Amino acid sequence: MLSFSLLALADDHAATAASLAIPAAIDAPDLRWAGLIIGLPALSALLCLLCGALKLRSKLPALITIIALLGSFVLTCMLFSQVGEGTPRVVGLFEWMSFSWGTGDRFQSFAAPFALYIDALTLFWMLFVTGLGSLIAIYASEYMESDVGKGYTRFFGGVSIFLAAMATLVMASNLVVLYLGWEGVGLASYLLIGYYYAKPSAVAAAKKAFIMNRIGDLGLALGIGLIWVNYDTVDYATLFRVLEAGPLATQGDWMPSAIPFLLMLGAFGKSAQLPLFTWLPDAMEGPTPVSALIHAATMVTAGVYLIARTYPLFELHPDALATVAWVGGLTAFVAATIGMAQYDMKRVWAYSTISQLGYMFLGLGVGSTFGAGYHVFTHAFFKALLFLTAGAVMHGFAGQIDIRKLSGLRRVPGFKLVSWLALLGCLWLSALPFSAAFFSKDTILTTALGSERSDFQFLGWLGLFTAFLTAYYTFRVWFRAFAGPVQFEAGDDHHDDDHAHDSHATASHAHAKSEFHPHGPRLGIRIPLIVIALGVVAAGWPGYDALFFHGENWVQSMMMHSSAMQGAGEVHGREIFGLSAHRMTSIVGTSACLLGIAIAYWTHLRDRSAADRARAALRGFFLTRWIPATLENRWYVDEIYHALFRLPLWVASHILHFFDKTFVDGFLVDGTGRVPVAVARLFQPLYNGVLQGYAATMAGGFVLIAGWVFWIWLRGNG
Amino acid sequence: MTSMMTSMMTSTMTSTMTSMMTSTLAQYDASAVDAALLTSALLFGIGLIGFLSRRNMIVMFLCTELMFQGAALAMIAFGRVHGNADGQTFVIFILTIAAAEAALALGLVVLLYRRRETLDSEAWSELKEC
Amino acid sequence: MDQSAPSDLLSSSTVMLGLVALASAGLVLLMRPGARSLRLAGSVLGLAGVAGLFVEVLKLASGGGGIPPILPVLFGVTAIAGAARVMTHPRPVFAAVYFILVVVASAGLFLLLGADFMAFALIIVYAGAILVTYMFVLMLAQQSPVEGDATANWYDRVPREAVSCVIIGFVMVATLAQVLFNPNEEARRVASSVQGEAQTQAQLWETLAGMPKQLKVITRERLQLAKDAPVQFVAGERSALIQIEGDTRFVVATVDGKDHRVMLTNTDLPVNAQVVGATLVNDFPASIEVAGVILTMALFGAVVLARKQVELGEDERRELAGLSRLSVEPDSGASR
Repeated sequence: MLSFSLLALADDHAATAASLAIPAAIDAPDLRWAGLIIGLPALSALLCLLCGALKLRSKLPALITIIALLGSFVLTCMLFSQVGEGTPRVVGLFEWMSFSWGTGDRFQSFAAPFALYIDALTLFWMLFVTGLGSLIAIYASEYMESDVGKGYTRFFGGVSIFLAAMATLVMASNLVVLYLGWEGVGLASYLLIGYYYAKPSAVAAAKKAFIMNRIGDLGLALGIGLIWVNYDTVDYATLFRVLEAGPLATQGDWMPSAIPFLLMLGAFGKSAQLPLFTWLPDAMEGPTPVSALIHAATMVTAGVYLIARTYPLFELHPDALATVAWVGGLTAFVAATIGMAQYDMKRVWAYSTISQLGYMFLGLGVGSTFGAGYHVFTHAFFKALLFLTAGAVMHGFAGQIDIRKLSGLRRVPGFKLVSWLALLGCLWLSALPFSAAFFSKDTILTTALGSERSDFQFLGWLGLFTAFLTAYYTFRVWFRAFAGPVQFEAGDDHHDDDHAHDSHATASHAHAKSEFHPHGPRLGIRIPLIVIALGVVAAGWPGYDALFFHGENWVQSMMMHSSAMQGAGEVHGREIFGLSAHRMTSIVGTSACLLGIAIAYWTHLRDRSAADRARAALRGFFLTRWIPATLENRWYVDEIYHALFRLPLWVASHILHFFDKTFVDGFLVDGTGRVPVAVARLFQPLYNGVLQGYAATMAGGFVLIAGWVFWIWLRGNG
Repeated sequence: MTSMMTSMMTSTMTSTMTSMMTSTLAQYDASAVDAALLTSALLFGIGLIGFLSRRNMIVMFLCTELMFQGAALAMIAFGRVHGNADGQTFVIFILTIAAAEAALALGLVVLLYRRRETLDSEAWSELKEC
Repeated sequence: MDQSAPSDLLSSSTVMLGLVALASAGLVLLMRPGARSLRLAGSVLGLAGVAGLFVEVLKLASGGGGIPPILPVLFGVTAIAGAARVMTHPRPVFAAVYFILVVVASAGLFLLLGADFMAFALIIVYAGAILVTYMFVLMLAQQSPVEGDATANWYDRVPREAVSCVIIGFVMVATLAQVLFNPNEEARRVASSVQGEAQTQAQLWETLAGMPKQLKVITRERLQLAKDAPVQFVAGERSALIQIEGDTRFVVATVDGKDHRVMLTNTDLPVNAQVVGATLVNDFPASIEVAGVILTMALFGAVVLARKQVELGEDERRELAGLSRLSVEPDSGASR
């Protein structure tokens, strides 16, 4: 019951959010040291590069990276204590782009200095980015130890590049610098997904992620261009001033209306939303810490950040936010259904990430930036925890991650802690009442259900159903892999296998194949896991604070004091079934969660064949036959893309290839090349190798020239 | 033609011979200059044709000597036109070059002859293109 | 420079073109290893063409009238006939001998042109030195035909692509003839010779002034002194050795304390060889050096080329380098 009053309190605080203006930014040259938050990871990347050049074979790169990231985190905390929810600060670091052209009336200029825009939203994001980044770097220092040497250096260099780029993205004071960071995180993501570059699937996944992100990035680049064309600035502070002063949307002019849709495209690409989500599951080819850091906790939330940051722009077109909501809601549902049918633990978490990101976009779309931001925050912790426990399992079982081949891990020595922490993550992901995710998810769903718009209400019901699916597939994994009888098969990751035996000095190599001993995680993995687990619990603190101590939700007030303030407060109190919206959401959400866990328990722990029987029943009846097939094949999205884009391009490329071979190469290039050959063949008899032949050619040429000159001379005289 | 030449010879012999033997300040003789120029042109032409058509390498070089001869004759004739000794001086250089060329070319011919036991220039056609 | 009428120019050039073509046709017939009669016809045709050319050219030189001078024509035709023989004779030795004829005939032309020194130098160097070298090489390289067998090597009898070669030569000679022998050029040559006359004389006097020894010889001759009598000259105005009064040139010589005025005439001017020598040394000293270097290099080159090439085996080279032989003696191999 207490949880319900949380939302009531939120109502009180909503107050006059919409009428508040975004506070004007002030210059703060005294905060120049904040540039070190970007600078430390960048320096660490350079040092890792140096380590790579020196062919260092030690854990030094990890040490450098961890120190740099911890430094960034400490600096971020200091910045938070100085700025907090206060006025946004702009810290100029150095001149970056500055052009001007034209004269008189046609004078135009473009300036994008490398400066930081520090407000509550920035700080909120930076806190968990640097904090989680440091923890995951510590985790990776043990996880990646089998690769000590060149690969280790490459990995930590990539992580450092990522952190530097992510900090640039979040702290940028204008859209161009944001774009720099945006592309930087894309690059780091590409480098780290393709970390095992000898594996074709990893290379393909890296390529896929990079190309799909390009589609989104094109939208973002065009959006930035349109913003500059329309408002003559790319600077946030100036942009917000301009937007506040002038009419937000001029009807009939397509250009300002197109801006939110283009920005949205960029956000969907980076955050793996519906049209562009297929890269994220494949990105699990990268090392698990990368999946945790980049593809679950931080980078994928860049899309949410972009929309929150440019929230005022999304009111330029009335349908912009509705589109975001629809895409988010549908993505949440579709990804959850796919997650139900996957066997690879990391892939299930990948689809759940997409699904949870869908919730965040739904929150943004229905007008609850507070809910979205809070969900980003809670999700970052529990999803990082889930990935890291999956990684610990993978590390211990030689790359084994298939939930059909793992069972009862909580009884395997060394994996007790991991199992219980995984359970914590699963409960949070299922939005158990009083968990942090429960607060954030319910805020989003309440806003949707409480909306006046019927389509938002529908999306709210869809979100509730998705919550049920989420609880089911989450516990399906946990009951399969961590509970039940002990039974496991080792993976085929021999590198890890050997390492396992090295650490268990008693085992002989002769038994390496026949006998497998899983090895539990050591301190480097355990400590970050515990710290993150504490973070998972603590992420609920703002909610508990509001609930039990009648304080203010910290996340809400952070959102309130930033550019995302427009949607930070309001939760409408519409009545549904005679209950207020938030009360209803809490009741239905809780029951959905419990129902999902119960079904998962029934089908995957008590009677493990029940799920297979259910699947067989579905397949047996012709009307439902499509359901398991579609889910197992991921809604055929990859196949649809293949048919829609790759196949036509393949055909077109072969046609062009044929044209290129026969006409361009064959006729133009080779044909041109054959002309001198043909001419040479004409004169070839002159080069018969006999001295006199050459002499005759020479004399003949001379004689011809002389005769011609004389002929001209004679005619000139006559 | 021969009879005509003999009749002319008696009449002009004395005068030409005297002018020939006297000092450098002789009267400019246009006919002698023109005859020398014509001879030089024909010598050069015949030398060229010989160089191109003869197969014997020694004769080929002999033909180049013919061409040298033609060039030297033209030098002398034009020197006479201009009335100074530069033309004759250049002939000395031509002789120098001809001597050097003869020495080297004949050395080469001997070398080549030792390799193939023939003087046929077509025996050496490894550089051909077809 | 007076320009003659275009029609005149063209007609003269057409005739000359025809005559060159005639001579070329004769040359082609002469080159062919065919019947004797054909070759005879070829030589007749060629001689006619060449003679016609000479007539045409000398007509131009003498301004259209008068009898052509016999000696230039004689030397010219001899030289050309000899040259034709050089390039057509199937026996290289005979070709070389005919080349001597060419050299002698052109030496005659040199004489006619007043190049006495060069005429004799030509005969000495060419007929004497270079031709002897050729003869040596011919003796070295040419297999002597079997006694009584007059046939030469096939490659000496059959020319390569006679017709196309003659066409090239024809175009070349025709072009040369057109350029050299037309009224305009003729007039230009005469004009430059007239212009050069006075200059030449002044230069000759200057050359003489640069030859004090010669002047002493002349003075001793005139004053009938002994061959080693001391003679001193007194320089005139501007320290000129040869002084001029009106038309007369003289030197003032001091013999036994008395001044004598020795008159100089045209016959005292330096002769051809002296002039050539003076020009060579005064005007082209660097060229002489270069010519000397070229001759030296040619000497070295000839030595290197003509040296007998000895193919050394691996063992010989090792021995030269002071190493032991590689190969095992045959008898030791057999004993093993």
